[in-house]
Amino acid sequence: VVKMTSTLKGITLKGSAELVAEFFSFGINSILYQRGIYPPETFGRVTHYDMSLQLTTDPKLKNYLTDVVSQLKEWLFECTVQRLVLVITCLETNDVLERWQFDIECDKSAKESSAPREKSIKTIQDEIRSVIRQITATVTFLPLLETPCAFDLLVYTDKDLVVPEKWEESGPQIITQSEEVRLRSFTTSIHKVNSMVAYKRSDSM
Amino acid sequence: MDLEDDTTILTTLKSFNSFISQSEPPRGAILTAPPTLQSQYKRSFELLEAAEKVQSKTRFLQLDQEKKQMELSHKKARLELEKAASDSARDLEHEQGRNQELYARIKRLEESEAQAMERLKEQQETQRSLRKALDSLNKSLEEKEDKLSTANQTISSLQDEIRDLKLKLQSQDSTISTQGLEKEELQEKLLLQQRKYQDVSQLCQSLQAAQSTCSEHVLKIKELERRLVLQEQDMSIVKMVKSEAAKVPELEKELKRLREDNAFLRENRENCSLLKEEAEGLRRKLERAEKTREELLCLELDKEKLAAKLEAWENLGQSSGLNIKSPEDLFREVMQIQQREITLKEQNYMLNSRVRSMERSQSELQSEACQQRACTAEEQRRREAQDSLVRRLQKRLLLLTKERDGMRGILESYDSELGATEYSPQLNRRVKEAEDLLQKTQSHNTEMEAQLTKAQEECGFLRLQLHTVEQEAEELKRKQASAMDSVSAVSKEEVAILRQKIEDLEAERQRLEQLNGELEMRLEKHTLQGDFDPAKTRLLHFKMNPTAVAKQQRQQEVDSLQEEVTRLRELVRVVQESGAQDESSVLGLSLSLPPSKEVLELRKQKESSELKNQRLKEVFQKKIQEFRTVCYVLTGYQIDITTANQYRLTSVYAEHMDDSLLFKKGSSGSMQLMETEFSKTLGEMVSLHLHHQKSIPAFLSAVTLDLFSKQTVV
Repeated sequence: VVKMTSTLKGITLKGSAELVAEFFSFGINSILYQRGIYPPETFGRVTHYDMSLQLTTDPKLKNYLTDVVSQLKEWLFECTVQRLVLVITCLETNDVLERWQFDIECDKSAKESSAPREKSIKTIQDEIRSVIRQITATVTFLPLLETPCAFDLLVYTDKDLVVPEKWEESGPQIITQSEEVRLRSFTTSIHKVNSMVAYKRSDSM
Repeated sequence: MDLEDDTTILTTLKSFNSFISQSEPPRGAILTAPPTLQSQYKRSFELLEAAEKVQSKTRFLQLDQEKKQMELSHKKARLELEKAASDSARDLEHEQGRNQELYARIKRLEESEAQAMERLKEQQETQRSLRKALDSLNKSLEEKEDKLSTANQTISSLQDEIRDLKLKLQSQDSTISTQGLEKEELQEKLLLQQRKYQDVSQLCQSLQAAQSTCSEHVLKIKELERRLVLQEQDMSIVKMVKSEAAKVPELEKELKRLREDNAFLRENRENCSLLKEEAEGLRRKLERAEKTREELLCLELDKEKLAAKLEAWENLGQSSGLNIKSPEDLFREVMQIQQREITLKEQNYMLNSRVRSMERSQSELQSEACQQRACTAEEQRRREAQDSLVRRLQKRLLLLTKERDGMRGILESYDSELGATEYSPQLNRRVKEAEDLLQKTQSHNTEMEAQLTKAQEECGFLRLQLHTVEQEAEELKRKQASAMDSVSAVSKEEVAILRQKIEDLEAERQRLEQLNGELEMRLEKHTLQGDFDPAKTRLLHFKMNPTAVAKQQRQQEVDSLQEEVTRLRELVRVVQESGAQDESSVLGLSLSLPPSKEVLELRKQKESSELKNQRLKEVFQKKIQEFRTVCYVLTGYQIDITTANQYRLTSVYAEHMDDSLLFKKGSSGSMQLMETEFSKTLGEMVSLHLHHQKSIPAFLSAVTLDLFSKQTVV
């Protein structure tokens, strides 16, 4: 079910923020399923963007993701968020094993003018679909995660932002010897999202 | 009366006409006799008066007629009005009569209405009383009905209760009977159970005794097994030591050989080092020799070059045509040339300075010419501006005159019409409006003129600039041409220097571009790795994020596991100290954990089965041992099983420990005697009892008797 939050005539800032937040929600679920952070039986299949995706049914995880994504939607609307990072940590050694990074470039002129932009939703959905397919395909070259792992979501925002109640400052959690791979990007003509993945080199583990 | 009037009018007219006709002929006589003019004039005047009188009379008659007519009409109208009045009075009387009739009717009707109202009220009262009586009757009826229904309900409920009670009675009777039967059965079972209990208690006692002996035997077995294990370990150690001891002489031999080799190698090493030093010295010598050879080659080349130069120098004098035979001549020639050069250079510099001064003057003149041209252009522009101003002023003058004429015409038109005072305010207003319009147009006009002057000034200015730029371009072209003609060394040097600078800057630019590219790549790599600028960016994450939660859980698990580990270690220590006897205490310690019911049951089952096994084993062992001792005692032979189907018999009265008979069980089940040392001494009995009589018991008893006799005799 695709909510037509933007008018059929074009994309507004609010509609673009909703589309990007929706992509993050499905993208994060896909990564958690593909990398095996949570057992596969806790995921249910849904259809979105004309493809079948996995969505978690664990209530705690769902609540956490809903909180983060709703806050992210606000920040996208205000154009104060620069980057979203999903960090995968090994629980035994507390090492950072993988880092999925999504850079967000916001066209601030859309805040002043409220005229919708000409870009069809179908094109945007096609772009998002290719990004998610590519994420699924990265499993072939990423090293196996054999130890039990947990994940965390970091958000890079503007310096002068007011920190909301449930959030706190954190370090960047950079991998010590990493290989980086740049993935596809997509744009809604107001927000542009670049994806990349960094993983720890397996000979140094 | 009218006719009289008309006749008077006609008669007067006739008299007038006759008078006039009388006056005409005497008019001819007037001309001859002037003093009759006055009388004629008087006559005419009198005629006029008569005419006037006639006129007034006629008017009077007319007015009289009119008055009479009006009086007639007045009378007629009065008559008609009287008629109308009488008619209306009759109508009024008629109406009044009707009115009175209607009033009387109304009164009658009102009376009847009042009567009807009174009757209506009486009837309503009776109706109300009747209704009240009805209501009370209804209520009493309803109460009676309610009472009847409640009575019915109570009756039905009581009937139900009676039925239930009857059913209960029946069921209770049945239960009583069944329970009586059950009681009898239970009593019988109780008797059986009591008997069983007695049996079981007896068995328990016997089992306990057997258990105690079994446990003692088990302990002995464990000790023996431990000793066996230790012995086996000792055996293995002894074997290893033996093998090692066997290796020792070989090792000694090897050691000797290695020592010899060592000494030999050391000698060789010293020799080698000596040889290496010699080789090094030789190599260095070789290098030096090669270097000297190369130097020699170079020197020979230099010598040849110098020889050639010397020849050239010597031939110089011949080739240049000068009188040179020695270096001093050359020196002299060179000095002369240098002096000549100096003088030429001085001349050159002078000429250059003159040229430059000429050029400067030329440039100054050109600049003056430019300025003059600029002045002329400005003058032209000003003149044009003035002309345009003059034209504009003329146009304005024309417009103003036209306006003035127009205003004059309007004013004249207004003056011509000026009769009524109502026009003056309108006129004033119109004048004011016209004045305002005029002012507006004038101001607009002045603005347009100002813009036009500005535009024209700008145009003139631009034209000036264009002139100057064109002149500069022509000057530059001339300068370029002059520069091309007179190429001085100074400009060449400047050009070369500038080119050098350009090349250096280009090289630096490329280097900086490379650096830039490298820095950009590094920056890209850092952003991919996740770097950020702390001055512009802030990094946030959720407080209760899954990693923190997982770490907490892990820590808790680790703590709990550590606690369990310490507890288990204590348990193990306790078990090792107390030994296996205290099984109950071990079980108690392990039961301090909260085990599940299934685990407890399974443990109990396991223990009970193990106990059973142990008891059975003990019982079997005991029985077997008993049986074997009894057999030994009664038959006089100890029967041991050596291997699968071989049985060894040792007699009570055997002279030596090794004297034994060996029997083997064949595949068909028959026993056969095997050859042993002892059986060789019993050849006779073997042949007699086994071969002839084919009876093993006879043989065995014969052997026993024989041995017994031997023993007692000895």
